[in-house]
Amino acid sequence: MLSGNNDEEQDIMFFHRVDSDEIIYQTEKKSCKIIGKYVMGDLLGEGSYGKVKEMLDSETLCRRAVKILKKRKLRRIPNGEQNVQREIQLLKTLRHKNVIELVDVMYNPEKEKMYLVMEYCVGVLQDMLESTSNKKFPNWQAHWYFIQLMEGLQYLHSSGIIHKDIKPGNLLITLDDTLKISDLGVAEALDRFAPDDTCYTSQGSPAFQPPEIANGMEKFSGFKVDIWSSGVTLYNLVTGKYPFEGETIFKLFECIGQGDVVIPEELEDQLIDLLKGMLHKDPEFRIPLENIIRHPWVIRKPPKTLERVPIPPLRGDELHTMTVLPYLYDYHYGDQSSSTQYISERQLNEENKISMQEACTNNKGSSSKKTCKSDGRQTSCLNIRKLATCHPS
Amino acid sequence: MAKGKAGQSWLKGVRVCSIHPLSQECDSEKMPLFGKSQKSPAEVVKALKEAVNALERGDKKIEKAQDDVSKNLVLIKNMLYGTSDSEPQTDIIVAQLAQELYNSNLLLLLIQNLNRIDFEGKKDVAQVFNNILRRQIGTRSPTVEYICTKPEILFTLMNGYEHQEIALNCGTMLRECARYEALAKIMLHSDDFFNFFRYVEVSTFDIASDAFSTFKELLTRHKMLCAEFLELNYDKVFSHYQRLLNSENYVTRRQSLKLLGELLLDRHNFTVMTRYISNPDNLKLMMNMLKEKSRNIQFEAFHVFKVFESRQACGFPH
Repeated sequence: MLSGNNDEEQDIMFFHRVDSDEIIYQTEKKSCKIIGKYVMGDLLGEGSYGKVKEMLDSETLCRRAVKILKKRKLRRIPNGEQNVQREIQLLKTLRHKNVIELVDVMYNPEKEKMYLVMEYCVGVLQDMLESTSNKKFPNWQAHWYFIQLMEGLQYLHSSGIIHKDIKPGNLLITLDDTLKISDLGVAEALDRFAPDDTCYTSQGSPAFQPPEIANGMEKFSGFKVDIWSSGVTLYNLVTGKYPFEGETIFKLFECIGQGDVVIPEELEDQLIDLLKGMLHKDPEFRIPLENIIRHPWVIRKPPKTLERVPIPPLRGDELHTMTVLPYLYDYHYGDQSSSTQYISERQLNEENKISMQEACTNNKGSSSKKTCKSDGRQTSCLNIRKLATCHPS
Repeated sequence: MAKGKAGQSWLKGVRVCSIHPLSQECDSEKMPLFGKSQKSPAEVVKALKEAVNALERGDKKIEKAQDDVSKNLVLIKNMLYGTSDSEPQTDIIVAQLAQELYNSNLLLLLIQNLNRIDFEGKKDVAQVFNNILRRQIGTRSPTVEYICTKPEILFTLMNGYEHQEIALNCGTMLRECARYEALAKIMLHSDDFFNFFRYVEVSTFDIASDAFSTFKELLTRHKMLCAEFLELNYDKVFSHYQRLLNSENYVTRRQSLKLLGELLLDRHNFTVMTRYISNPDNLKLMMNMLKEKSRNIQFEAFHVFKVFESRQACGFPH
């Protein structure tokens, strides 16, 4: 890299320069990676702990998602390892259609990586909200997700588990529009013989914390914490806003601590009533879960008035097609002769130009917009980022 | 003057509207192709009721009656679900249909005569019943309210498990009913509920497992209701339950043990759990289960056993 090739020019040209024209790209090979009985696919998302990738169970052909946890990264997160341990322990025993299922846990001691194989989900509620212009769902869609959230929460509570971190960012959606409660990293399991649901600690997200925690109460009812944060979540789904805001965490907690919620009046009366019940300052008077389930707004079936908010596409793919397939294809049919292809930047630019022109003419001719995406060769503009190695010529 | 004229023409408009349904009927006579779908809910329900009555009487024209029943059931089903090339009917038509079904008491009649209806017809009855049951007006579920006033419907359905040929159809309808707290309550608190302890053990595997899933739904769906029921009827329920746990049938034994674990570990059933584990006989039973050959039974027994164990741990001061 740092080789100066001309002795006279060494002081001027310390770095070897390569013209961009001379750069040659090599298309990334989709080489199949198999861990245990699972075939690895593309990246689905990334968090502070590591990556989430798609997987295929080679025995049952079930689509799965895998959370890859790196020990190195976990150490940097406060309580990281402890939280993961707790999540695994809790998820193992749980089984409900609205709670994410942990299918398998694998550990690779050499790489210090942990693989948590889970049910496959296509999106996070938070991302869906952010993909819309006003950051909210139509009423009926919010209702649809909310009743599922309550079902899942009822199951968790009846198993003696307090989630403590209910928020749109922790609610996943599957391809068939089922909501799954996920991330039990900060959840607490009550002792089986504990007389009530008293808790002493909470590590959830600040904006979703109830007044009793914001005010620093020593102990509080755990179930009511989840009710409050579900209330904030519902508020967020139907209005696109948060009931409490603050520039700093201190101001936010001060605001929550006062506990005065302003609920927009344009909402339906029943919904306002429910939100008021769930966001009651005093946990004693906050509406309990069994009454939420019987609340008129929950029982009622709202009319589908507005268009559904779709799940945001993954890298341009609205259908969320299985990403494992190209790897499998390569594994079984990938030919040896032309497996590596070199392309220079100039070629790439020209190809792009041509495909752009084609796309334009196509658009004029047939007015079908979808064709322009899949035009051109395999190395169209979408793939540049993926080109792994570059050889200076 | 002008005002009067306008008023008159408006009146005329109304009159045209009022004879509209009649003119539709005329149309349907003219065009036999579309005739069937234009039949009004009242007519279909009436025709179906007559056919079912004929079937019940068991006249010599039984085959014709059976045909009529199936035909009219398909008509009703299509009103509710639509077909491949027609949409379901509008809410008004469906509301009329539901009203007719309530008034004519046809739902009960259909269920009582379910074994006389042909195979496809049985499935149609279940589909129609479930659809009508799910119907909502605002926060109200009119069919649920209706069935509350006619609990015979539920009891007849529960009795359906006695008859092989209709057991599974009744099962799908029962589970749909069990989703509603009011209906689940009626079923739980009826004497017929204890028949389930027999149904889940019948020799036909598919019926036994269907009955078990209904049984489980009733005992787990509505947490507060179930907890209350189990507390009130503790002795009766668990003496019956004991028999399931000691059943000859492996599947029954395993399934009931699993359900027992779920019931005891549910926080809603806290009092029931403390009561259950305070009885040393139950501990003995679980320890014997741990010795069973089947791994699955051992595993499920362990789930229950650990409740006893953690209680022990709590009992001793550290």
